[in-house]
Amino acid sequence: MDIKELIGPIELPRLVLFLPELIVLITAFVLFTLDLILSGRSKRIVLPSLSAIGYVLALMSVGVSAQFRGDTFYGSFTNDALASLVKIFALLIALTVLAFAGRYFSSKRSFYGEFYYMLAFTLLGAMILASSYNLIIIYVSLELVSIGFYILTALLRGSFISKEGAFKYLILGGLSIALASYGAVFMYIYAGSIDLREIFTYEGEDYHYLVLGIVFFLIGFALKIGAVPFHFWLPDAYQGAPTPVTAFMASVGKLAFFIPVVRIMPLIQEKFSLTWTLTVGVIAAATMLYGNLVALVQKDIKRLLAYSSIAHSGYILAAVAVTKDIGMKAVIYFLVVYAVMAAGSFFVVAMLERAEGWENRIQEFSGLRFNLPYLAFGFMIYMFALLGVPPTVGFVGKTLVFMALSFDQLWWLAFVVILSTAISTGYYVRLVVLMYMKDREKEVRVPQRGYAEALSLVFLTILTVALAVVPEVIWSLVAPASETLFAR
Amino acid sequence: MEVVRGDFPFVSLSIILPAVSALLVVLLRERYAKAISVVGAGITFLLSLVVLYLFDYSRSSSVQFYEEYSILKEFNVKLALGLDGLSLIMYFLTTLVSLVAILWSVRDKQISTRLKEYYVAFLLSESFLVGVFASFDLIVFYVFYELTLIPMLFAIGIWGYKLRLYSAYKFFIYIFVSSLFLLLGIASVSAQHYFQKGSFSFSYFDLLKLSYPEGLGIFFFLLFFIAFAVKTPLVPFHTWLPDAHGEAPTAGSVILAAILLKMGTYALLRFNVGLFPEATIKLMPFMVAIGIITIIYASWMTIVQNNVKRFVAYSSVSHMGFIVTAMFLLNHEGLRASVIEMFAHGMTSASLFMMAGFIYNRLHTFNMNSLRGSVKFMPLFAVIVAITAFAAMGLPGGSSFWGKFLTILSAREYSYTLALLVLVGGFFSAAYVLYMLKTLFLDVKEESILIHFKDIRGVMLVSFLFLIVPILLIGFFPHLFFSMFDGSIGYILRHILRLE
Repeated sequence: MDIKELIGPIELPRLVLFLPELIVLITAFVLFTLDLILSGRSKRIVLPSLSAIGYVLALMSVGVSAQFRGDTFYGSFTNDALASLVKIFALLIALTVLAFAGRYFSSKRSFYGEFYYMLAFTLLGAMILASSYNLIIIYVSLELVSIGFYILTALLRGSFISKEGAFKYLILGGLSIALASYGAVFMYIYAGSIDLREIFTYEGEDYHYLVLGIVFFLIGFALKIGAVPFHFWLPDAYQGAPTPVTAFMASVGKLAFFIPVVRIMPLIQEKFSLTWTLTVGVIAAATMLYGNLVALVQKDIKRLLAYSSIAHSGYILAAVAVTKDIGMKAVIYFLVVYAVMAAGSFFVVAMLERAEGWENRIQEFSGLRFNLPYLAFGFMIYMFALLGVPPTVGFVGKTLVFMALSFDQLWWLAFVVILSTAISTGYYVRLVVLMYMKDREKEVRVPQRGYAEALSLVFLTILTVALAVVPEVIWSLVAPASETLFAR
Repeated sequence: MEVVRGDFPFVSLSIILPAVSALLVVLLRERYAKAISVVGAGITFLLSLVVLYLFDYSRSSSVQFYEEYSILKEFNVKLALGLDGLSLIMYFLTTLVSLVAILWSVRDKQISTRLKEYYVAFLLSESFLVGVFASFDLIVFYVFYELTLIPMLFAIGIWGYKLRLYSAYKFFIYIFVSSLFLLLGIASVSAQHYFQKGSFSFSYFDLLKLSYPEGLGIFFFLLFFIAFAVKTPLVPFHTWLPDAHGEAPTAGSVILAAILLKMGTYALLRFNVGLFPEATIKLMPFMVAIGIITIIYASWMTIVQNNVKRFVAYSSVSHMGFIVTAMFLLNHEGLRASVIEMFAHGMTSASLFMMAGFIYNRLHTFNMNSLRGSVKFMPLFAVIVAITAFAAMGLPGGSSFWGKFLTILSAREYSYTLALLVLVGGFFSAAYVLYMLKTLFLDVKEESILIHFKDIRGVMLVSFLFLIVPILLIGFFPHLFFSMFDGSIGYILRHILRLE
């Protein structure tokens, strides 16, 4: 027998497509091993710097793998423009997380080696989740991300709220994965395939299985992205987690969890499109209204930003309801820039938390401008960006959402967006007013500010404005990401 | 709409210059802040004079000094800057009043803390305002329109009077929320462009060519209208204004009343009337009615005010009523009246707010009763106040005369009842101005305090003169100003009738 015939169906994996993930995977294992071997003091230097080197290498390899598009591992791993875009921002934000983590944990008088490899594993999960159509791979990577987040949330072992948040997240996260996989089962029953592309192009007769599958799948992911009414874990987890981890959850986590939903968007057929629009639209409306209303009465800055994160899930979902090219572009752009805004605003909180006697109360922001002018300025930009004031990325995101909604004539949803943004004005502007127009309440001094932190924060702040003022740069990534999916 | 490209980027330079001065203020020491801002605003003003000189008045309907830089190709978003006749007069108003506001602040005793931020706010707001009036791309317009909010939020919130935080909030929330409707409107108009022409576009020139089904046209008109009605403001959307104007520092009130409100009326004319002619004609009676209600209601409210700044603020609202009424009469005289009144009100309201600020520096109160006879021993100041007040009232020879006269003239073309209603509005405005003059000039107060007041002089006098001269110029030589924008008005009228 000819050997070629024998191994014919065996496809050699095109590892070049998988290169960024491979590098992060190796980094994670190396970090894991070193954490066991090294002594306490050398760990503090070796682990962060090794992670940084790994992420930078991975970031460069995204550029390499972007040259080669296509599927590998029998079609279960897809490297396309959308995946590359997500990976670039996930890696960039992971790098900035590293910059803040060290000093944050040492201000809590602790060091956790597991932070570094768990971060790497979570990042790996997020990257794979962003680049797959395969239900099994989606399930596995979803678990990888989630388990990483459970552990990272509970990292501050001494803190009660940290444990509470992690426990809530664990239970509801488990539920969400169960629901999503249940939905996956129904989809498999319908089409006899585990590839989303094949499932949605399959012309089966009893498509109530598919509808059931989509609904469960959507509910599973709605839980993960914190859409109302599945949001209960989110504020607790965000508040309880160490703040750099919260930043990572709010940015990369949200980005990755949205991607499977985004990948379904262009596959929705005409006959389901109304169902999809209505379901997603109603969830979106409830999410943004609820998130903003509750954020209005928060007293803790981390909870406030958590509810604002819920509200932003709503804005993005509003665009998800529009299964057209413009809707998808709005979703992708808003997701990416929300990651930047959320990471930046949580990082500011992470820095402030190191100050003596800082309790994360909103009132403590009074007169921050006099104590920490640069930090206050940065935070002001994030607040205006989250509110959607030009010329920041939040504004461009909202404009794109409006364009998408008016493209599909979803006027009611557009008015809900306006209403909820109106509500959100209350708390974003209050923070600006507190920082700049009130007298200072107490001295706030952040000890031991480092260059890496400052650089990361400046970088993110510049991104927040630059991606809006010079949109052509990011648009050259966003447009192909959407267009290649719609071209199929 | 014709476009004439400029050889030299005058417009973007007038946007950049104040911004660069603001940057210098940030970087250099606090004691240089005043000098830099005066010089920066001064150079921008001189630049606007050069533009006024170079402008081709025989073709004022076309957009001159046009510049274009692509921002996002896919949606055809361009930084499209230029000036047609209508923009030109607004642009001149901006540079003039910004200079006046900054000059005034140099000697304003209320501004003693955080000087750097103060001048940065005012310089930036000048730069954004020029952007508003010069942009011919809807997204860029919106960006500048929103950006003007931020310096004003800080100006009111930091250097305002007692209720400053409340007023700053209220101001920001009202304008920001209402302009979200505008954003939705802009997005949907560009989507309509996609449906009709196959590509998204935010360019004003492209959107002029669209026509909408009747229901949709009215819907879009209303989306735009909500934003501009709050900004203008028209009754019943005016409640933010007395607070914001009353609590802002003097220079802030000057910018607010003289320029920011004009953004609303300018945009009504440029976008609502320009982009949705059919809907405009359909809704014309309602708009005129809202305008007249605004005139009369605001005039009544003015008379009962006890705080002199709120007094001037409400009088501004009633003037806005005149502008909108005249605009939606949709004939040549009406539009002329509306635009000249925009400029004229810029001068008089700025001057009246500075008057209030000047007296406050002496008496430390805005209470009308305490101001009785306060100008008695300041003859020069009294003359300035008198000229401004009579001009605001609409006395011939003053700036507002032409606005009111032409409004009545054009209302008469429709019906005498309408003209009579406008006339009644004019009567009320005369009533409140005379009441104010009586309080300031004739009522007696203990003279022992008043006798120590020093008359106006120096920089403050100069900043008043910058306003008094145009007031008289409009009064006596209105054609200097009409010739700026007559062409644009003609274009708009022809466009409404779809002749062009």
